[in-house]
Amino acid sequence: MQDTVKEDDILLEVRNISLSFGGVRALENISFDIRKGEVRAIIGPNGAGKSSMLNVINGFYHPQEGEIWFDGKRRHHMKPHQVAKLGIARTFQNIALFKGMSTLDNLMTGRYIKMRANLFSQMVWVGPAQREEVEHRQRVEEIIDFLKIQSIRKTPVGKLPYGMQKRVELGRALAAESKLLLLDEPMAGMNLEEKEDMCRFVLDVNEQFGTTIALIEHDMGVVMDISNRVVVLDYGKKLADGSPDEVRNNEKVIDAYLGVSHD
Amino acid sequence: MTPDFLNTIEVILNGLMAGVMYSLVALGFVLIFKASGIFNYAQGVMALFAALTLVGFQTGQIPFAHLVNEIFGTQIHHWGPGMNNLLAILLTILVMIVFAWLVEKLVLQHIVNQEPIILFMATIGLAFFMEGIGDLMWGADLKTLDVGIPSGGSFWWEDVTRTWVSEGHEYYGMYIDLLDVWAAGIAVLLVTVLTLFSQYTKTGRALRAVADDHQAALTVGISLRSIWVIVWSIAGIVALVAGIMWGSKSGVQFSLSLIALKALPVLILGGFTSIPGAIIGGLIIGVGEKLFEFWIGPLVGGATENWFAYVLALFFLMFRPQGLFGERIIERV
Repeated sequence: MQDTVKEDDILLEVRNISLSFGGVRALENISFDIRKGEVRAIIGPNGAGKSSMLNVINGFYHPQEGEIWFDGKRRHHMKPHQVAKLGIARTFQNIALFKGMSTLDNLMTGRYIKMRANLFSQMVWVGPAQREEVEHRQRVEEIIDFLKIQSIRKTPVGKLPYGMQKRVELGRALAAESKLLLLDEPMAGMNLEEKEDMCRFVLDVNEQFGTTIALIEHDMGVVMDISNRVVVLDYGKKLADGSPDEVRNNEKVIDAYLGVSHD
Repeated sequence: MTPDFLNTIEVILNGLMAGVMYSLVALGFVLIFKASGIFNYAQGVMALFAALTLVGFQTGQIPFAHLVNEIFGTQIHHWGPGMNNLLAILLTILVMIVFAWLVEKLVLQHIVNQEPIILFMATIGLAFFMEGIGDLMWGADLKTLDVGIPSGGSFWWEDVTRTWVSEGHEYYGMYIDLLDVWAAGIAVLLVTVLTLFSQYTKTGRALRAVADDHQAALTVGISLRSIWVIVWSIAGIVALVAGIMWGSKSGVQFSLSLIALKALPVLILGGFTSIPGAIIGGLIIGVGEKLFEFWIGPLVGGATENWFAYVLALFFLMFRPQGLFGERIIERV
């Protein structure tokens, strides 16, 4: 993780977000910020509202209350594809890849917002569209090298093992060269070795490309080692927010994770 | 070669040609089904509507002439001598794109995320609406369509095949309709272009991405709505090609919309989600029904072409409901 994160350099800020589905309050009055260049973790037990939070940032859910500020501007009601154009990429907990397409095509599709050729020039193909295609293909190959997935470039991703699919999904999100990368449980369901690899990639992305990363994790251990700051949610409420050390020693957090008898 | 053997070859060839026509209609279904999960019942009517519009432009008909005459007591019907084929085709393509945009704006946008059956019902409504509007715009009379595609039997092929028969037999050569050959060629070209487009362009990849996973497509910045407009436009253009072929063959008439029904068994055979499936399914149906008519037809009094495809589809439903190339349907418990 980067040591040079400036405190007042804020990329994304959520203010007093409340989200409910019918009578269920998924998020209650949540506020926190993400600084440029940092690795920010959102942790919490199952059902804490972590994924809901990510879906709010990403535009899948629209909170009933609260404001979202991105890059210094207040963001109004936006659809997910518009949020993507703004510079926010994400991965999913249960992997949402284009299963019938090859690794290469998945990553190329990840660059959708970067490509400018209009429909007509695409149909003509020779000329601008082709030049653009070659140019972007080069960037994608760099990402493939970075993630060490050269051997599966042409494999349809539906045929890949779970850990590899997770890696391709990360690659697709990287391909967008976004300002903010949202990772929804990037290590879930992985064995120790795969987890270590993924941690390494997350840190490398952050350090080499300077990408700001917000990641959700269920498992506290992994997160503490790789993030600058951690926000803890439980039952849709914010429990704690601070450096890994602060959070680790927070009484409420320990209670939420280990459970205490309230007598 | 004996005349019997040659006759069989002729039947198979003609079956393949007919199959290409079925494939063309089925292709339109598959495109829309893959991208949006909608079984578009209106695909056949789209072919009819496209053909009607093309003839209208070609012959210089005034749209809604009957309606206008009825209301204002005027006597208008044509605005001029018409226009050349290329211009008329381009204008019709434009009309189909505007139509796609309207369908998205007025129908799909409001019922997105509904049950498939509701989307299907909406397309039935769309089919009725288009049939009505086609009638109102261009009139219900039978029209001939000629865009300059050669038709009639190929003498060259007849001459070539006449020499194939072994000595001592009388044989007059094979009959093959030039129009069918052209249709097959154009269909192959169309599928090639579509395949290349979907493999090597940004929008083509976006089309495949949307077909694969809506949620993931949204997160990489693809707008589902604009993709749907593009898909319906492509389906409209495919419908136009099918309309031109069928219209040149048997005239532009309202029964054209019923060819959609013939696409159903093709889709059941090939699978609803596979473009190669639609093509091969169409060919199998085409060849199958011609061969069946040729061999079994005389034994049962003929006219087997009307039902053979459906019976074949029924057998497929029993043994391989996902079709030859469709994705396996697995429900996790």
